[in-house]
Amino acid sequence: MIVAFVFLASMTLMCALGVVLSRNVVHSALFMSGSFLGISGFFVMLNAPALAAFQVLIYVGAVTVVILFGIMFTQRPQVRRFRTIINRQTWSGLVVTIGVGAFLGYVLSIQDWSATGPGNGPQGPGPLGEILLGVGGAPPIFGLLFEVISILLLVAVVAAIVVSRRKTGEGVDRGVEE
Amino acid sequence: MPPQAQQFLDTLNSTVPLEAYLIVGAIMFAIGAWGALIRRNAVVVFMCIELMINAVNLSLVAFADYLPDAGGAGVGYAVLVIAVAAAEVAVGLAIALAVYRTRKTVNVDEVNLMKG
Repeated sequence: MIVAFVFLASMTLMCALGVVLSRNVVHSALFMSGSFLGISGFFVMLNAPALAAFQVLIYVGAVTVVILFGIMFTQRPQVRRFRTIINRQTWSGLVVTIGVGAFLGYVLSIQDWSATGPGNGPQGPGPLGEILLGVGGAPPIFGLLFEVISILLLVAVVAAIVVSRRKTGEGVDRGVEE
Repeated sequence: MPPQAQQFLDTLNSTVPLEAYLIVGAIMFAIGAWGALIRRNAVVVFMCIELMINAVNLSLVAFADYLPDAGGAGVGYAVLVIAVAAAEVAVGLAIALAVYRTRKTVNVDEVNLMKG
């Protein structure tokens, strides 16, 4: 367990640092999918294999591809010196971030977690589905949240189409004559 | 097998405490926050926000697995968070695309006015 944990933690955190510090945007996206793979490994260790499958399908599959499409549409070839990818807040941002990380780590580790142990979560897809629908002893609010999330996804898809649709005569793709 | 080696193997096979997951989540959240603060490219800022969301998801699932009285509700919340994050990526990249079409840049420090 310790070996798997150390491997997954180093993979996740190094890939997260790679997202922030990589000079190439495509490399950032690939590092991001590596970090998501590490998180899905953590989900397997935490007895949530169905959630790990969701993570691989949605994040490593869908979100990474959507972000790669976004990069494809919005990036011009640019000078990739290190100063051009970051703004002027590097060190103040680092100070703020170390403060946030130290505060979170302190708050989480000062608590006495010795009474807790692994193996309390839903072990398979069946109990996870019962929790999502709010039946079988799960909080009944989950039924409402499930419906709200469905509406939200529909609205988000419609909004994405409406926002990104090109109106006639506005904007020209590079190299394409209209 | 010498007793030191046996003890070492027992240490390697012992269960990971809850704090370990929580601290990995905290560090990942901090890295994502750092990236969202310092990067200029809006798409990379989206990626860093995804990192923060995943860190919170890791904490939720760790709590759901370790706390005896949670009833595993954290896994349900993690699924909801994943759905909200997917919606956020779709809308956010659509906005980035629309901004790029009018401004020819997605650098967040050059797009500082919300007027066309």
